[in-house]
Amino acid sequence: MAFVRVPRDGVPVTQAKDVALDPSLGKRFTLKTDVVVVGSGAAGSMVAYEMAKAGRDVLVLESGRYYPSSEFTEHLGDTMTKIYQDQVGQVNTTADIIFIQGACVGGSTVVGACVMEEPGDAILDGWAEKYGLDALSAEKFRPYLDKVADELQIHTNEAHEINACAHKVIQGCEKMKFSWKPAQRNVKQCALTGHCLAGCPSDRKMSSLVTHLPWATAYGARVFSDTEVIRVKTRDGRARGLEARVVDPDSGAHVADMHVDADMVVMAAGAIHTPLILQRSQIPDRSGQLGRNLAIQPFTQVLGKFKEPLYGFRGALVGVQVDEFTHTDGYTIFSGLAEPESLLAQGDMKAGKAHINFMKDYKYYAGVNAFSKDLGKGYVQWDGDAYTGDKTIHFNPSREEFENMKASATLAARIFFSAGAEKVFLPTFQSLEADSVFELDAKMDKVDYGIKGLYTFRSNSFSPHGTCRMGTDPYQSVVSPSGELHDTPGLFVADSSLIPESMSAPIQWTVHALAKYVSDQINENASNYFIV
Amino acid sequence: MNSQSQARQIQRVWQQGLARRQFLKWGLGSVATVAAVAAGGFALLRRSPRDAVSRPGWAADLSDDEFHLFDRAREVLLPVAGTALVDSAAIPVVQNIQRTLNYLDPVTRKELGAGLGLLDNIAVFTHGCRFVDLELPEARQMLDRWGEGGVLQRTLATVLKQLVYSAYWQDPQTWQPVEFDGPVSDKWGLSYLGNAPLPGPLEVSAQETTV
Repeated sequence: MAFVRVPRDGVPVTQAKDVALDPSLGKRFTLKTDVVVVGSGAAGSMVAYEMAKAGRDVLVLESGRYYPSSEFTEHLGDTMTKIYQDQVGQVNTTADIIFIQGACVGGSTVVGACVMEEPGDAILDGWAEKYGLDALSAEKFRPYLDKVADELQIHTNEAHEINACAHKVIQGCEKMKFSWKPAQRNVKQCALTGHCLAGCPSDRKMSSLVTHLPWATAYGARVFSDTEVIRVKTRDGRARGLEARVVDPDSGAHVADMHVDADMVVMAAGAIHTPLILQRSQIPDRSGQLGRNLAIQPFTQVLGKFKEPLYGFRGALVGVQVDEFTHTDGYTIFSGLAEPESLLAQGDMKAGKAHINFMKDYKYYAGVNAFSKDLGKGYVQWDGDAYTGDKTIHFNPSREEFENMKASATLAARIFFSAGAEKVFLPTFQSLEADSVFELDAKMDKVDYGIKGLYTFRSNSFSPHGTCRMGTDPYQSVVSPSGELHDTPGLFVADSSLIPESMSAPIQWTVHALAKYVSDQINENASNYFIV
Repeated sequence: MNSQSQARQIQRVWQQGLARRQFLKWGLGSVATVAAVAAGGFALLRRSPRDAVSRPGWAADLSDDEFHLFDRAREVLLPVAGTALVDSAAIPVVQNIQRTLNYLDPVTRKELGAGLGLLDNIAVFTHGCRFVDLELPEARQMLDRWGEGGVLQRTLATVLKQLVYSAYWQDPQTWQPVEFDGPVSDKWGLSYLGNAPLPGPLEVSAQETTV
């Protein structure tokens, strides 16, 4: 009998500064392991935990820094510059859609708003039927979702977790007879600080930083931060490890080159970076789908101003969701109003006095994020060589997607007017606001699709997915139903890249469950991959 | 180039299927060309009394022109006189902008610099002086007009406003007047919960499991 001891807090992580100070490693070193996991977020941490628990030697490589919760300041500006991908500057090619992503040990689970939603049975059964993914049918996949719910303490918001901002959404929905429900979140004993996006300093958010990563390390997994994977190494067509570069996160100085020899490589760097790494590794792709089918779940932020002070930024960040249109039209609206500097993404962007007056009214605002479904037609691309090349994210809304975004934002505005809003600020690059529901449509009509929908709605994406889609047909999909690439044995994908088509529900819960499923596939067929 | 012909040109570029870099290079290349013309042909008009003032030592990562542009934009965009809001002169707005720009990759940083250079210089054509020398109401009108203009105008106006507003509102001194609470965990004395215990039937205590 052996004891598995989870540290009281923090995760044992080897950082660039540790590598720099370790003379035994030097400027170029090689590590050997059974499984190397690329990325430490929702998927990577889950794979690391499941594989380490099964007795495998596991190495996790994270390109972001290690930022333990004891260092969280509840200051969004500080946090954004340290642990958000590209300091929140990760944008599409035309720089009008922001892809918000965590870049730290724990990934986006650290900076997300804790919103969790299961994919519906129809979605799962649709994947099973359309892509031959029988194991993802509702009947077979639901146990994975349930297990994740237990591990991450997912619960439906209780009354005290629904703040004044969310109550305005409820009020509007009741008047409009729209269906709404309390959101589900992965948080225990939420302290209602409203600072989710800056990380949870008291570790109430059940991010990977306090769950699967410390659990994985308790079972012996090793975690390196500040380590950017350059390429996956293959020999005789089989993945054999990878090359990485350790970089000081503050100075950008190159600290060391790392080589990893491994029996298996599991990609879990997210739907943007996983395909980019595979592209620059020149991994064979019969389907031509690697990096394609990018779905982004675009959302805009709509703001309503009310007569009475709401202090809508206090309390749980996300309280309720409007689910009236989720299954019919793909629109889902979540309540939420964040810090002053992120309010800029929602509110008036006029120059001077108008902006000052707008900000002075902060306590009178309620906000929502209005999500719409996209068609999954974007793509990511790596240009240039593996070391000095550059990524590009290609997504501009089609006319249909543009109309979806408009419809979702308009619904959000109607909900606020029904709840008694005096004014609604529309999420457009043009400065547009409506003073009553009667002028709403006319104002929205001013937003013209123009050229590729450029600079129309101020859109963001938290949930890119689909860029290494899973399926049985190697000419239509990148990854087989086991999670292994069709054309490269020993190379697996376990993150949101796998999701075979655009979905409208928030994806984090699905991603955790997919990673758990892929881990099971590996463990059940361990004799094929490892010398036991 | 007026916004209509600009829009047609952009459409052609898109139809040719050019990628982002080329799009941006085209856009900001045009910008740089216009800026260069403005800088050369209108050298006299673009002279500003601010040219004689060097940027402070801490602004080493900005050019003199950039420093003056951001500092003037601060005055233009944040007129807080007569309100309870904190005077922007008391907030390190330009320092914060410099810090943000330092996070950009060099190519984007250079392109952005060229674009903002255009914004400063283009006013020479319309107002007879650079943006930094416009009276406050004129400068605000120009930014609002650009906010409704063509794609490049909208982009540059948005970028400038976003940089200045973010740099101002990220400072905790600015929060109290709008009653934003800022960090609360320490203030409220929240207990620290630490890592979650291992799941599953093997769990024997909160932090210890036998296998």
